[in-house]
Amino acid sequence: MKQLSIRFCGFGGQGIVLSSVVFGTALVTKAGLYAVQTQSYGSEARGGQCQAELVIWDKPLNSPHVAMKDILVAMSQTALDRYLPSLKEDGVLIIDPGLVTDTHDTKARVFKVPATETAQALGSRICANMVILGFLQAATNMMSKDDLAEVVKESVPARFVDLNLRALEAGREIAKGVNLEVMES
Amino acid sequence: MTDTRTESRGRVLTGVHFMLGNYAVAEGALAAGCDFFAGYPITPANEISERMSQRLPEVGGVFVQGEDELASIYALAGASLAGAKAMTATASAGFNYMQEGLGYCYAVEAPVVVVDVQRCRGENFASQADVMQMRWGASGDYEAIVLAPSSVQELFDYAIRAFNLAEKYRSPVIVMSETTLALMRERILIPPADAIPIVNRRKVTQPPSPEFLPYKAEPSGTPDWAPLGSGYNVIYSLNPHDERGRIDWDPNVFEGLYKRITGKIRDNRKDICFTESFHMDDAQIALVTYGSEVRPAIDAAELARDKGIKVGVLKLGTVWPVPEDEIREVAGQVDAIISVEMNMGKYAGEVERVVGGRCRTFRATKNRGLIHSPDEILAVIEEARR
Amino acid sequence: MTINPMRKYVRPHGLPHFFCPGCGAGQVLQYFTRAAHELSLNLDNIVAIGGVGCAARIPIYLNVDVLHGVHGRTLAWAMGIKLAKPELKVVVFAGDGDAVSIGGNHFIHAARRNLDVTMIVVNNLNFAMTGGQVAPTTPYSSVTTTTPYGSGEPPFDICRLAETAGATYVARWTPNKPLQAIRSIKTALSHKGFSVVEIVAQCPTHFGRYAIGSGNPADLLKWIDERSITKVQAESLDPSEREGKFVLGEFVNTERPVYRGTTRYEVERAE
Repeated sequence: MKQLSIRFCGFGGQGIVLSSVVFGTALVTKAGLYAVQTQSYGSEARGGQCQAELVIWDKPLNSPHVAMKDILVAMSQTALDRYLPSLKEDGVLIIDPGLVTDTHDTKARVFKVPATETAQALGSRICANMVILGFLQAATNMMSKDDLAEVVKESVPARFVDLNLRALEAGREIAKGVNLEVMES
Repeated sequence: MTDTRTESRGRVLTGVHFMLGNYAVAEGALAAGCDFFAGYPITPANEISERMSQRLPEVGGVFVQGEDELASIYALAGASLAGAKAMTATASAGFNYMQEGLGYCYAVEAPVVVVDVQRCRGENFASQADVMQMRWGASGDYEAIVLAPSSVQELFDYAIRAFNLAEKYRSPVIVMSETTLALMRERILIPPADAIPIVNRRKVTQPPSPEFLPYKAEPSGTPDWAPLGSGYNVIYSLNPHDERGRIDWDPNVFEGLYKRITGKIRDNRKDICFTESFHMDDAQIALVTYGSEVRPAIDAAELARDKGIKVGVLKLGTVWPVPEDEIREVAGQVDAIISVEMNMGKYAGEVERVVGGRCRTFRATKNRGLIHSPDEILAVIEEARR
Repeated sequence: MTINPMRKYVRPHGLPHFFCPGCGAGQVLQYFTRAAHELSLNLDNIVAIGGVGCAARIPIYLNVDVLHGVHGRTLAWAMGIKLAKPELKVVVFAGDGDAVSIGGNHFIHAARRNLDVTMIVVNNLNFAMTGGQVAPTTPYSSVTTTTPYGSGEPPFDICRLAETAGATYVARWTPNKPLQAIRSIKTALSHKGFSVVEIVAQCPTHFGRYAIGSGNPADLLKWIDERSITKVQAESLDPSEREGKFVLGEFVNTERPVYRGTTRYEVERAE
């Protein structure tokens, strides 16, 4: 596979960092890939802004950061405004249309995943991040859905496991027919 | 993610993990037999303390949150002399405070492990600006052993190596961590417990007697250890002491002591120092670097090779003692050496001293809170190209 | 020839000691050996700790394991030793500088935690080893080498500090009351928890000469005695009358759990 970089961004409380950790854990411990996860720190992380970076490959990785990302997941308009310039021109932009309305005429492929709305319908907006992960899993096929579900089970409090698994499934539904072909290239 | 499980997991978490750097260094310490941790809160080292506060009780160890860094480092000294394998973790500003206690540990030859997660002053921006403090921070004469991991895996591996070297040479060993590595998650493979080599300090074999010489250290230079409370009645003083342990300011006594304490490290450089080479076989330009900076350096070397420039990387696993033989050998092979580090130029001076004019030298330095990008290093490679 | 029964407490080849003639530290050394003797303490089980200063040298002469030579960190060492090997008896000898100036933070936290060590504070009212500078214990208005016009700082009451911070045994005596001092040291050594015995001691070389105008140890002991009152006497005085007095006696003798580390691991492991 080609090296793949994903940036998750939004505001604090949306589980941005957790989603990068869960996805990375599934990639590394289940799918046998290599991944490096970093997140904002310092004053940069203040003011409610939040971002995490995940670089993925089938070989060990050197530089932990990649300047231009292949995939940008934006869960707030402010975060999108800030991080869209770091998305490759032919990259993939995944947005929550309830939170991001202006995509600045980007040339990237845009996927609208109503994560918050879907999560709310399932019972709580806190699992919006899992809707996104379900979408990513189905659209990239970098790990099996069961592998991802297993990591989710280990990563969230017991009383929220069921909700989060349903959110994953809902995300997969939204991804029906989408194939980002990251493993093939 | 706060781990809330309550059952004991044992010392060695064998298997593949996607683990935070700060957790990995803690797990390495536990795998090496660490049973005492004392530290004072400071970012970005807190996850080490938090992990140890949870994990040490699982393996019967002791966790202390000291009232300050001084309490923590001296508690390590006391615990170590009593027989514990002791570690602390701090970050640059806190590491300043610990220099005093480190000086004591060097002087009385107490094996301890200190993790310094280097950061920019006051904030968690990435930096390698403590590289000199790690060597020269304490007063008095001593040699430092400082290991520089480049990955989450190496944070684990080098923590074990640090304990083993500390025990073997009865000396503090510093694990040079950095914001970049400490707060990064990466794949790590923890081997089975029986595949992890463990070194324990040599214990005194002769019975206690008034003639016992606790600081006699022939021929290795490292004295055998007499555990506190076993009747040997040893004085562990920062002040110059003779082989009996008595405080003595006779110049011959203290020069002898300092010669031995520095000599036990200097004379064993071959055992202590290690480096790794990447693309060095036919290299005409070498990037000499350490810690997280090794990573973009390798990428930069590969980018340069795509452009037809033969670049290799010499990674310094130990930054102190300086792997002089290895650097000198590279200097004899290449046209130019570029020192790559995340500060305004500190270790570069050491590299240039060792190179001693054998080849041209350049510096790729940076201190803006972020690791070098491969392109930034490539720019210096272009400059160094004849 | 009979050997002095106290000789075994003194390190072979350890003497002569370095204390000035008439210094109180030598007396405190003797109080400790007598207390240890009367309690039949096992020397092999004792770790004695001194930081930096005159009193910090007391352990050097004791035939036990010793940590020495860093200013103010005695209790931090003690914490590490005691937690790593709880079966050891750890005794700290500290001057007032070691205990409550540079080491003040460690002092209050050891008291708060009820660290199971004994601390014998030789309070000679000044920084003696460095030449007689003002200390946090120097009586108000005293002349020292850094207070040539008299000290403008109010002094610490070490025992009240220890008590307030949570020490579970606290007593103060002077070399004018040697039997009481030995008795309190015995109680402290037998106590489970943080025990502090303060001995207000004479430093004729510096405090005597600069603050009271006499380098004669007897004059200084008399000066201390004139200012010494019992706990009972102190109770009938109002605070302004108590100022500048050394209140002697046993102030605290209680029990509470001793420090075992920051996490309550014994409880959790049992679950």
